Amino acid sequence: MGPRQDRPASENDLTVRLQRAEEALRARELNFQMIVESIPAPVAVITPNGEVEALNKPVLDYFGKSFEELTGWASSDPVHPDDLPHVIEVRQKALESGETYEVEARHRRADGVYRWFHMRGFPLKDTDGRVLRWCVLLTDIDDRKRAEAQLAGEKRLLEMVASSFPLTDVLTELCKFVEDTAADCRCGVYLIDWRGPKFRIGAVPSLPATFNDPCEGLTVSPEVGPCGVAALTKTQVIVTDFESDPVFQSCAIRPLSLAHGFRSQWSTPIFARDGRVMATFAIFQTSPASPTQVQQDLIAQVTHIASIAIERALSEAALKRSEAFLAEAQHLSRVGSFAWRMATNEITWSEQLYRIFEFDPHVRVTLELIGTRVHPEDLTLFHDMIERASSSASDFQYEHRLLMPDHSIKYLHLIAHGTRNEDGELEYIGAAQDVTQWRLSEEALGKASAELAHVTRVMSLGALTASIAHEVNQPLSGSISNASTCLRMLDADPPNVDGARETARRTIRDGHRASDVISRLRALFSRKDMATELVDLNEATREVITLALSELQRNRVIVKPELADQLPIVAGDRIQLQQVILNLLRNASDAMSGVDDRPRQLLIRTEHDADCGVRLSVQDAGVGFAPESINKLFNSFYTTKSNGMGIGLSVSRSIIENHQGCLWATSNDGPGATFSFSIPCVGEGVAGPAGVALTDQKRDARPS
Amino acid sequence: MEIRPLISVVDDDESVRESLPDLLKEFGFAAQTFSSAEEFLISKYLSETKCLILDVAMPGLSGPDLQRELMRRRQDIPIVFITAHRDATVRPRLIERGAVDCLFKPFSDLDLLEALNSALRHS
Repeated sequence: MGPRQDRPASENDLTVRLQRAEEALRARELNFQMIVESIPAPVAVITPNGEVEALNKPVLDYFGKSFEELTGWASSDPVHPDDLPHVIEVRQKALESGETYEVEARHRRADGVYRWFHMRGFPLKDTDGRVLRWCVLLTDIDDRKRAEAQLAGEKRLLEMVASSFPLTDVLTELCKFVEDTAADCRCGVYLIDWRGPKFRIGAVPSLPATFNDPCEGLTVSPEVGPCGVAALTKTQVIVTDFESDPVFQSCAIRPLSLAHGFRSQWSTPIFARDGRVMATFAIFQTSPASPTQVQQDLIAQVTHIASIAIERALSEAALKRSEAFLAEAQHLSRVGSFAWRMATNEITWSEQLYRIFEFDPHVRVTLELIGTRVHPEDLTLFHDMIERASSSASDFQYEHRLLMPDHSIKYLHLIAHGTRNEDGELEYIGAAQDVTQWRLSEEALGKASAELAHVTRVMSLGALTASIAHEVNQPLSGSISNASTCLRMLDADPPNVDGARETARRTIRDGHRASDVISRLRALFSRKDMATELVDLNEATREVITLALSELQRNRVIVKPELADQLPIVAGDRIQLQQVILNLLRNASDAMSGVDDRPRQLLIRTEHDADCGVRLSVQDAGVGFAPESINKLFNSFYTTKSNGMGIGLSVSRSIIENHQGCLWATSNDGPGATFSFSIPCVGEGVAGPAGVALTDQKRDARPS
Repeated sequence: MEIRPLISVVDDDESVRESLPDLLKEFGFAAQTFSSAEEFLISKYLSETKCLILDVAMPGLSGPDLQRELMRRRQDIPIVFITAHRDATVRPRLIERGAVDCLFKPFSDLDLLEALNSALRHS
């Protein structure tokens, strides 16, 4: 250290002046020297052309270099290579302009560590304003710089959190920030899924897959290692050296860490606001170490930021999930929601409502726009709704139709709740549901239950005859027993006349009971109960075939319908006519149940009937009937079936007669029989005594 | 006087309960009628009954229920079932379980007599 050697004076004539000046200068230099030396902070003196003239002891001590070494600073290593060009540039400009300059740069300390310095160079000028020397003050700003960097890092991280960067990005940045700030370490954030509980890698940006992959999904337990203990005990765990640490000798992470050259691990829990541990923050170092206060401060700082980031990400995910749920729920239930501010006519729609109305989601919703979708017939209703809504803050419900561009119709059910906001403005929030499916299924349900009722009624004849059989058989049984007893009593010797009289009386009573049952049955099909409607006999027949088909197929009956085109419509009770048709089909099927040597063919035919209107015949290939029994066929209780009751045909005939028609049977040329009925079509002898007389004649005429 | 075999009739139908006893007496049997299986089970005639004419379908205990109950009590009374339901599948099932016969109402006096004679031969 010390001033440069003075140069000797040269010119004689100037000697005095020069010597004076030189003396003055020396005095100044001496003063500089003294001042520079007396300043405890690093100071340098530089000549106007930039050469280093003097450096004080703190400078030499800091750099650990000699004065000579430091004079060549610009081509050596005292200034961080990244900062050097800038320093040279700033200084050069200052030398040219003679203005004070300031520049920040990292200076290499004796131990090789770069520290940030602030350099302030100010010119020392003579009375003429010429620069005599530059005095440069070096201020160690490393702590400030570090704080600034940390602050900037923290700010950057918080900005990322605030701008909803993906959590992985934030945590990755966070790890890199720590790695940059505290040299020679690697960092990782391990998220905890408490449902496992399992560790999930949040971010470990600087470690290879060979280290990270085995960590993914590890169970949160003390056996895992420092992070497991930190998570479970909610305290920071410092492993200074895995090789010597007694606690973590057998933990899962130890061999992995050692294999990757890590000796120390510091794990710090990351807490949620409610005190739950959401993750752990780990720092790995290649040499045994425990954290300094500065490092602890850094850890505290980043775990705090990580906590905010994770908690925010979780709540955002939850929010997104619930938003998605809501959207999904709206989609599934076809419910859209809306808000309607009356004062501004501002309408806000949910995504689903746009979907219901089939509007582009970017379109601004107005009442006029909604009006374009309202079914023209419901527009009055729609306007009425708007008028009512505008007048008072009351809740309202409406249902109206939408006419879509493809001409399909939607049913919309709307519920709104009126409130006044803080400014006293009327506002509605509400839900609108697409109830089209409901409406359609309601209609379908109505139709289905009508069909069911229809089927039940058609089928009831079968069930009815069974229960009638029981009802009738009871008194018949009594009647026969009584009659038998009566005969036996009369045959006795002497005849028991009183007993016979009593049993005969009971016979008559039972006969009446049986007759009453039949009357009740006939009453069921009496004219006064008949519903008269227009019936397409073909359609009615097809329905019955459909109804009976499975039963007929089970009996191996082949049904051949031959239904005439343009059959006139008849007037009558469709259900009753169908019961007759069903009865004829069943009879035909039963008649063929023993037939195995020929097809069990059943022909059902409808045709115009010149005289009577419309005729329907059912032709079977069954056992047929004896010609002499033809007159008995339609009597109640006459049956050719072993388990039949003989009621069906008699009831059927009653029904047909009530329709002013007739029902008859004929033997086929081949095997089997044909049962036919004919009834007048609309406009021909529908009612009246004449019709009855006519049909009576026909009935007599037909079977013969 | 000759002791006439007792035939018990269990049927919820009144016309049967009225008509059968006279016919049975004409056949030369003694007769008792009961409107339900329960009534028969508690009656003093149960043990004297030589044959039971039993309706199949009755409110409360049905005919087959009574048949089972009698078997459980080891009361070996021959049973002639009578029914107004012409269900061909019922008859073989009842006979299989030990009934003498099953007559479909209305039945003739001769069919009944034949069944009763067959029943009394059994016992």
